[in-house]
Amino acid sequence: MTPLNLTPALPEIFVLALACVVLLVEAFSKKPEWSYTLTQLTLVGAGAITLLTAEAGKVYAFNGMFVDDLMGDVLKLVSYAAAIVAVAYSRAYLSERAMFRGEYFVLVLFAVLGMMVMISASHFLTLYLGLELLSLSLYTLVALQRDSMVASEAAMKYFVLGALASGFLLYGMSILYGMTGSLELTKVVAAVEQGSSSLLAFGLVFVVAGLAFKLGVAPFHMWVPDIYHGAPSAVTLFIGSAPKLAAFAIVMRLLVDGLHPAVGDWQQMLAIMAVLSLMIGNLAAIMQSNLKRMLAYSTIAHMGFLLLGVLADSYAGYSAAMFYVITYALMSLGAFGMVVYLSRAGFEAENLDDFKGLNARHPWLAAVMAMVMLSLAGLPPFVGFYAKLTVLQALVGAGWLWLAVIAVIFSLIGAFYYLRVVKLMYFDAPHANDLAPSGEADVRALLSLNGLGVLVLGLVPQPLLALCAYAIQTSIQ
Amino acid sequence: MSLVWLVLTPFLGAALVAAVARLGRSHAAWAAGAVTLLALAWLLPLIPTAFAGSTVLQRVGWLPSAGVDLVFRLDGLGLLFALLILGIGLLVILYARYYLSPRDSMGRFYASLLLFMGAMLGVVLSENLIQLLVFWELTSLASFLLISYWQHRADARNGARMALAVTGAGGLALLAGFLLLGEMVGSYELSALLAAGDVIRAHPFYVPMLALVLLGAFTKSAQFPFHFWLPHAMAAPTPVSAYLHSATMVKAGVFLLARLFPALSGTPEWFWLVTGAGLATLLVGAFTALFKHDLKGLLAYSTISHLGLITALFGIGTPLAAVAGVFHIINHATFKAGLFMAAGIIDHECGTRDMRRINGLWRYMPHTATLAMVAAAAMAGVPLFNGFLSKEMFFAEAVGVSATLAWGWLLPVAVTAAGLFAVAYSLRFIHDVFFNGEPIDLPRTPHEPPRWMKVPVEILVVLCLLVGIFPAQTVEPLLSVAAAGVLQAPTPAHDLAIWHGFSPALWMSLIALVGGVLVYVGRRPLFDLYERRIEPHLDAKAIYEYLLGRLFAFARRLTGWLDTGSLPRLLGLFFLFALILGAAGLASDTVPLTGARALLPVDGISLLATLGLIAAALATVVLHRQRFTALILIGAVGLTVALIFIKFSAPDLALTQLSVEVVTIVLLLLALYFLPQESPAESGTPRRLGDGVLALAAGTGAGLLAWAVLTRPYQTIAGYFLDNSLTGGGGSNVVNVILVDFRGFDTLGEITVLALAGLGIYAMLEHLRLPGPARDPQGRPWDADRHPAIMASFTRLLLPLALLVSLFIFLRGHNLPGGGFIAGLITAVALIMQYLANGVAWTQVRLPGSNMHPLIAAGLAIATVTGLASFAFGHPFLTSTFGHVHWPLVGEFELASAMAFDLGVYLVVVGATLLILIHLGAMHTASHEAPSPTKGDN
Repeated sequence: MTPLNLTPALPEIFVLALACVVLLVEAFSKKPEWSYTLTQLTLVGAGAITLLTAEAGKVYAFNGMFVDDLMGDVLKLVSYAAAIVAVAYSRAYLSERAMFRGEYFVLVLFAVLGMMVMISASHFLTLYLGLELLSLSLYTLVALQRDSMVASEAAMKYFVLGALASGFLLYGMSILYGMTGSLELTKVVAAVEQGSSSLLAFGLVFVVAGLAFKLGVAPFHMWVPDIYHGAPSAVTLFIGSAPKLAAFAIVMRLLVDGLHPAVGDWQQMLAIMAVLSLMIGNLAAIMQSNLKRMLAYSTIAHMGFLLLGVLADSYAGYSAAMFYVITYALMSLGAFGMVVYLSRAGFEAENLDDFKGLNARHPWLAAVMAMVMLSLAGLPPFVGFYAKLTVLQALVGAGWLWLAVIAVIFSLIGAFYYLRVVKLMYFDAPHANDLAPSGEADVRALLSLNGLGVLVLGLVPQPLLALCAYAIQTSIQ
Repeated sequence: MSLVWLVLTPFLGAALVAAVARLGRSHAAWAAGAVTLLALAWLLPLIPTAFAGSTVLQRVGWLPSAGVDLVFRLDGLGLLFALLILGIGLLVILYARYYLSPRDSMGRFYASLLLFMGAMLGVVLSENLIQLLVFWELTSLASFLLISYWQHRADARNGARMALAVTGAGGLALLAGFLLLGEMVGSYELSALLAAGDVIRAHPFYVPMLALVLLGAFTKSAQFPFHFWLPHAMAAPTPVSAYLHSATMVKAGVFLLARLFPALSGTPEWFWLVTGAGLATLLVGAFTALFKHDLKGLLAYSTISHLGLITALFGIGTPLAAVAGVFHIINHATFKAGLFMAAGIIDHECGTRDMRRINGLWRYMPHTATLAMVAAAAMAGVPLFNGFLSKEMFFAEAVGVSATLAWGWLLPVAVTAAGLFAVAYSLRFIHDVFFNGEPIDLPRTPHEPPRWMKVPVEILVVLCLLVGIFPAQTVEPLLSVAAAGVLQAPTPAHDLAIWHGFSPALWMSLIALVGGVLVYVGRRPLFDLYERRIEPHLDAKAIYEYLLGRLFAFARRLTGWLDTGSLPRLLGLFFLFALILGAAGLASDTVPLTGARALLPVDGISLLATLGLIAAALATVVLHRQRFTALILIGAVGLTVALIFIKFSAPDLALTQLSVEVVTIVLLLLALYFLPQESPAESGTPRRLGDGVLALAAGTGAGLLAWAVLTRPYQTIAGYFLDNSLTGGGGSNVVNVILVDFRGFDTLGEITVLALAGLGIYAMLEHLRLPGPARDPQGRPWDADRHPAIMASFTRLLLPLALLVSLFIFLRGHNLPGGGFIAGLITAVALIMQYLANGVAWTQVRLPGSNMHPLIAAGLAIATVTGLASFAFGHPFLTSTFGHVHWPLVGEFELASAMAFDLGVYLVVVGATLLILIHLGAMHTASHEAPSPTKGDN
């Protein structure tokens, strides 16, 4: 027995403890502002701890169940940031809808904790634990608006499908356990390498299917539009950003760290799913009249693009995928943040028509939204372009020419619907229902920073690219 | 770093102009002009170096990890384009100051124009392909802003969108092509690429790469069949057209052809693709231009045609053709910019651009007319004007290359025909607008424009003449150095004389001139023919819209098929895809499904039990709509599973299964009591059949998987626990030792969760009161006697017995099947029986401790304290110890600290289970009719 080393898990322990404190504060205080402040402080504190304990190597803890490495640290830091931003954006929205309560904060904190555990998992059980912690928190968050039929239906669907996907994942894991005799990723990879890979592909498909569901990749994407659409916008904002980072992390841990010897098998599956996602996501997004639904479909396409980076199976590919997911989280926050910011009591700014003529009323907000949309479309000089560029480069470098061409074609179709939003904001006459942003000045400033970040990162993408490359190189063998 | 600043200046200037525009209309124009001059100033010191034939490279680190630095390159070609962009830009800025009306926002116009200028400079001065692409896409974006400048006009918006869609699409294709190029050469830098032409041409990916790159270039330069966006972009303000569609944006495509000429040209694919597209564009453009009534429409198609000419020249691929191509780029930029500006003046002064109404303007604006006529003559290729020289060179190249081809004579014929139409439409431009009778119904009375609006046109026209008459003295040095930049080799000998003797090219020019006049004279029947027969069929925009429509229709179908929002459908799809994936995974495995492990013999009892299990499961499915029956059948399934556990020597599991089964059935019964007894039939037979097939397939898949895993030998973790259970945990019941010792921490967590779940259910049900159904589905009333005396008496008798059993099970748990968990469940069942048989009220009076909260708390406290106690002895949390005591009567008895822990488990299980069950039962209003005034809850 190795001595218990808690340092690698310090951020997790901190968040867990503070989440319980928030729960108690909620029980005894009638002021949700306290919970709000405490939640933000918790996330900042977790960021500080993660930064202080970051090391450039892999440190295992809890008998190999938990790993602390740079990839994990970077992803965790971005997750905290995403959560901080999402909670800040949501404040006004939630209080106008009687959801600005302790439950929301506790659930967000537990979801963050789940993500952290997922990101640092090096064992099937830890991974599953984190995944379920995240998923259960998200199910509840979706259902938080109890008097909304749409939200309840979305939560129900999310739960049923999510449970099924978790079942798949567990099933796949148990098969892998049966084949390799271990749940620990480092041992699994050793066993697979030694050639006990009989029937591995069979078990692998279930793992991949489960992961695909969590990422929201076709053909396991069906929950995404309904849940993004049905959930309260503030919750969609959260679901659409940070959890993607965690999902990327478990893809890396499971497929790249744990099952790399079977790369030939999962590469093909990822390729098929990526193509399907690009196709379904981009084509279906064209037809949507609801912005949240459109963004949901675009998420599917983006996650397909992310898979392309992973399946390129090179350091360049992995770091491109990591860059992609981080920048995607940023853009997603901006887009949904705008939806939340423009909504007010009794009115959801979620239809494309609501954005008509935004430029005439609120030119700066329209500019921020336009930057986010152009970046999502992958146009330079915004960061979305570099995300796509690095993935495509890695893909071509790995010899997946046809995939690169397909990706380009569908990005092109994708650009169409993002540009439509820009066109609506700039060219169309303002809607009769005037958008009156209800948020405070600090939220507006944050949103502006978010939009400018998309541009600034696009002008100087190098630091983040280098960070991703370094993190991947120190974290993936 | 001057090149970096040169490119950055317009971008920074755009912000400046937007800020300055608030001060006044002219300020914006002055600022824009100053910015452009500043950019020129950055360029000037470098001109001698470029003219000396060397390439200036300036590098800034930017994206090293992606192989992209910010590198700028200035050679002859770059210099030529930079001069065109800045020079014509300056003229356009001056012109636009007078063109734009007071209603138009100056700041936005000039800022967009400068953005575009910066992007365009970036394109022509980039050394790195990725960087070039970034600027390339920026030109698309900036041109989108410029074309849509008049946002209130629908045609402007649609034109802008179409231009962006087509050129943006081309840009992405170009990105793919560049990535391929980079892979082939291992570098994205032009210096490396241009030197690696042989590697590139021999590469297996040459053809796809070429196709992608050409797609980018052709869409940008409006080559057939992608030419349709350009005429629609004419909705832009005329200064924009003069800038974008003469000298800059559309030239980016031919610039790319020129830039990559040494790397890509010289293969049959290059020749046929590029020359073919160029010639088709040349002809289609020249022909269509004649029939356009819109002044700018005519110029747009003429631009298309001239771009085709340049493309065809690069396609021919000889060094001389490349020189001619560069020369025509210069000439076209000058005369077409002049023509667009003249057209803008006419539009500005007449209020319309319809040539059927604008006639006889010679009388109203002779000065402008003269300028326009000179420029149009250059466009037609009349001798002594610059257009003549490059066209002559083109004719000569066409004749030259035709000798090497079968059916080669077609080439000069086609080229001459295009020349002929060029003369005809130029003639139409002059004759229709400036002569041909009187203006018809013009919105404004035409007169000469402001002085400074004409100056840019004058400068351009003078250039046309100077180059046309004294080519060797004026343009030759620039042309030489630019052509050397294209070829990356010394410029071949060429002669820029006006008179070459009676060469075939001269004859072709003559035929074109005479023929063009004849065609114009006899244009009426041609117009009829065109408008009735050709125009309805020759519309590439219709193809674009058709394709877009098909894409939409497909997207709609796909969305309709996938996005129904129905959960059963989603689940069905989910399983279907999982099955497909699973089948693919199974098929791809090469090893046999059945592993090496020997199968156990099948005995009769197991077979019967299994058949019973299957029958019960099937019956559950068939009868699932009758809820109570289904529940009992599920109970049967559970019991059979317990039997199977016994068969495989797992009595402990069987006991757990048995007690859990009973508790859950009771729980479900209590919940179902308030629901209808039958579920409605919601799906039709076909759907059920489909679902059935899917379910069978999924089940088979899962079964196969289990089969595959179970028939393989594998090392279980059981050995470790079997070896250490007695020695380490002091018990021979491994399951129990695992629960209370090996995994004691897990168990503590689990009972905490159980306690919390109980409290949660309590919180939810505390005040819920539901009326139970009074009648059964057939409408018969339920028996009024809820608690039959016989049953009540028997259950009362059973209670002490059951409690004794549970105590027994608890005590022996450490070594024999049993333990706190099972004992807890048995106690709970025993107590719940009292509630069921005697009623909540009756039982609660007799069970004063029926408040379960202290029980649960006590259980948790005992378990935790047991764990903490080990700290007192200096051991980690939950370390267990055991010893043996001698009890009278019983004999040797083992006492493990784990037993205390197990007691905690027991208490929590009893408490939580009872809490849940009692409150489910107490929901019924009937439970509260009893005389007892208890609150019913605790």
